[in-house]
Amino acid sequence: MIPALRLDDVSFSYGSVPALERVSFSVAPGERVALLGRNGAGKSTLVRLVAGLQRPDEGTLWVGDWDTRDCVPEQLAWRVGSVFQHADQQLFARTVRDDVSFGPRSLGVGEREVERRTAHALEDLDLTAHAGHHPYDLPPALRKLAALAGALALEPALLVLDEPTIGLDRALRARVTRALLDRSAGSVALLVITHDLTFAAESLERGLVLDRGSLVCDESLAGLLGDATRLEPLGLAPPPLAALSAALDLPGRPVREAEVARELARVARGRLAP
Amino acid sequence: MRSLLLDRASFWYPATESPTLRDVSLDVAQGEVVALVGALGAGASTLLLLAADLAPRVTGGRLAGSVARRDRSGIVLPTPWTQVSGMAFTVWDEIAFGPANLAWPAHEIARQVDRALEQLQLAPLASRDPATLSGGELQRVIIAAILAMDPGLVLFDEPAAELDADGAGILWRLIRLLAREGKAVLLATSALDALPDVADRVVWLEGGAIRAVGTPDLLADVATCDAGLGTSIATVWRAAGLPAPYPLTVAQAVRGWR
Amino acid sequence: MSRLHPYTLLAIAGALPAFAWILPAPSGGTWTAAVALVLTLTPGESPGLTGTGASSGWRARLIVLRTAVVTAAPFWLFLLLLHDVPTTIAIGLRITTMVASFVWLVAALAPARLVEAMVASGWSASVAYLLAATLSAVPMLKARAQRIVEAQRCRGLSPRGGVAARMRALRALALPLVLSALHEVDERALALETRGLVPGIRRTPLAPPPDSAVERAARWVLLVACLFALVRRFTVPGVS
Repeated sequence: MIPALRLDDVSFSYGSVPALERVSFSVAPGERVALLGRNGAGKSTLVRLVAGLQRPDEGTLWVGDWDTRDCVPEQLAWRVGSVFQHADQQLFARTVRDDVSFGPRSLGVGEREVERRTAHALEDLDLTAHAGHHPYDLPPALRKLAALAGALALEPALLVLDEPTIGLDRALRARVTRALLDRSAGSVALLVITHDLTFAAESLERGLVLDRGSLVCDESLAGLLGDATRLEPLGLAPPPLAALSAALDLPGRPVREAEVARELARVARGRLAP
Repeated sequence: MRSLLLDRASFWYPATESPTLRDVSLDVAQGEVVALVGALGAGASTLLLLAADLAPRVTGGRLAGSVARRDRSGIVLPTPWTQVSGMAFTVWDEIAFGPANLAWPAHEIARQVDRALEQLQLAPLASRDPATLSGGELQRVIIAAILAMDPGLVLFDEPAAELDADGAGILWRLIRLLAREGKAVLLATSALDALPDVADRVVWLEGGAIRAVGTPDLLADVATCDAGLGTSIATVWRAAGLPAPYPLTVAQAVRGWR
Repeated sequence: MSRLHPYTLLAIAGALPAFAWILPAPSGGTWTAAVALVLTLTPGESPGLTGTGASSGWRARLIVLRTAVVTAAPFWLFLLLLHDVPTTIAIGLRITTMVASFVWLVAALAPARLVEAMVASGWSASVAYLLAATLSAVPMLKARAQRIVEAQRCRGLSPRGGVAARMRALRALALPLVLSALHEVDERALALETRGLVPGIRRTPLAPPPDSAVERAARWVLLVACLFALVRRFTVPGVS
């Protein structure tokens, strides 16, 4: 099975300033990967390379079986849906629905398919009620979701998101989590930059950590998040639920809320039993 | 001594029928950190703009009730890139922008800027062009720029949104330091888990009105948890069906577990 | 160039177009346009058009020249449609001078230095910022436009295609640029207020740019020369 994304020894510098050094990893279809690290560690650079906005100085980036060196961003849009920071600046259409359908329409798929993809994306993020509004009539948080819907509507094999939950409250973050889990169940691969480790714990399963341009960790997110001694030197802190799990030594060391609640309840019942 | 007093304040944005804030009465003392929590659209940002004397003076709109301020205020808004002056090509100049507009003498400006650089650990970035900074670095620069003006009342609207774990740690420790120095701090944040260590009081805003006020223990109440405004630990405790009172932090949970 | 006082830069950028319009065409226009275009090749210290100011050297200067030429080109096309060749050349050279002078000014004059110069001369800070904002608007909008182009390309927008496709593409690039920029104006106004930018204040100069007697004299000479040419144009008959 061809990986949805593969990096082979990728290096990149902005002029003389190195940003990525010999990064290698691959993401399988349906896999949900968190890209973590301090500000300035190289995460946004990596994501720009995946979207084809920049070419690696050394090494190769494969999106499916396409070498990004041979592609332009509008071509890669067939396989990669990217949402960068400031994504809400890209909104321009008269209605949210029109804007979300901009992507599939630009790809040239048939009108009925455009409608289907748009409706699916809007439903996934619970935006159908706002579909007829002008994007700038929505509060900034919902504009952010509209931009995400635009990427979902491309129905790409790989979704690449740069900080999708900044500015969202708990309810909206839950919407994003649900939408991402839904897509991943349909074999869409996810690569998500986030510093919200609680969100990462709920939505993603594997953690890649960048430190000064190099990949220093590549492992299961649950294991990584519970280990404060490893996270700290990387500029990360364990999210509260993972810390709780470790401190109470819950069986299986769960990190997701539903699982932590279940284990807590089970252990508490066990203690009460004579 | 009281730094800010809102007395039954209601506020309508221009050309809007329904008020964004209804009958809000709140006071913040010097040396106190008060946190505003609530769902998006609950009115926290508007309350901060009122406190900053930007609403209705700059935003327009109508104010009923009163807002009284003792000290000069400074407000840090959520999106750093809209707060960059656009007139400074180094971080140092960007931070000095505010103090220079206050017509302070040059040596005083230098002193305040250097102090702010140190407080936000920005010294290595002092000669960088703000346009080249990441969102998190820029947010720290904006915070430094506001603090360099030495406001007595410091207002923060989602200051940790763009910050990574290191940056957030610097911010929360700094806020406690500001309070110790005698400043009044009012902040709106969705980083609920940080509040037990940062806030002296928590105000729950819902639909533009104050629903509850209390110590950070408020974030472990049944009502706040049900509204999605409990800390992660309190929320999961409730979800597990365990009895109240719910622990606020990991440390509390561990203590109670034994 | 970058060591000149901001007022000198302003004086030059103002004098060239003035001369272009006052002096008889086409010779007047020719040499002012030539001077303006050559100026775009001189190094400036402002990030201006070239982005983050990190690049200096020939590549950056050529970008400024190219921007001037590309901005002026549509005017020439337009003129050609409306007028005969000699009039086109006459007006075209004048417009080129104006465009090139402004483009050069944006590249050469750092808004911060202009503010410092105006404040040091006693102007109120808000007036200074109004002027400087015109200069800094260009790189800000350019950076935003770049981000929008990237975002739309990642949604499948192709810069190629027929006229209809290009018009659609333009809409997807121009609209978000204007909408998002306008939308932020409110928040920017709030932010500047809180940083103390209110009318009537006397801002402290942090680094007033050095001025020299030579430059002051040169500015006066430019002004006098403009006035002289203006008077001559209107009083001496037979000069077109």
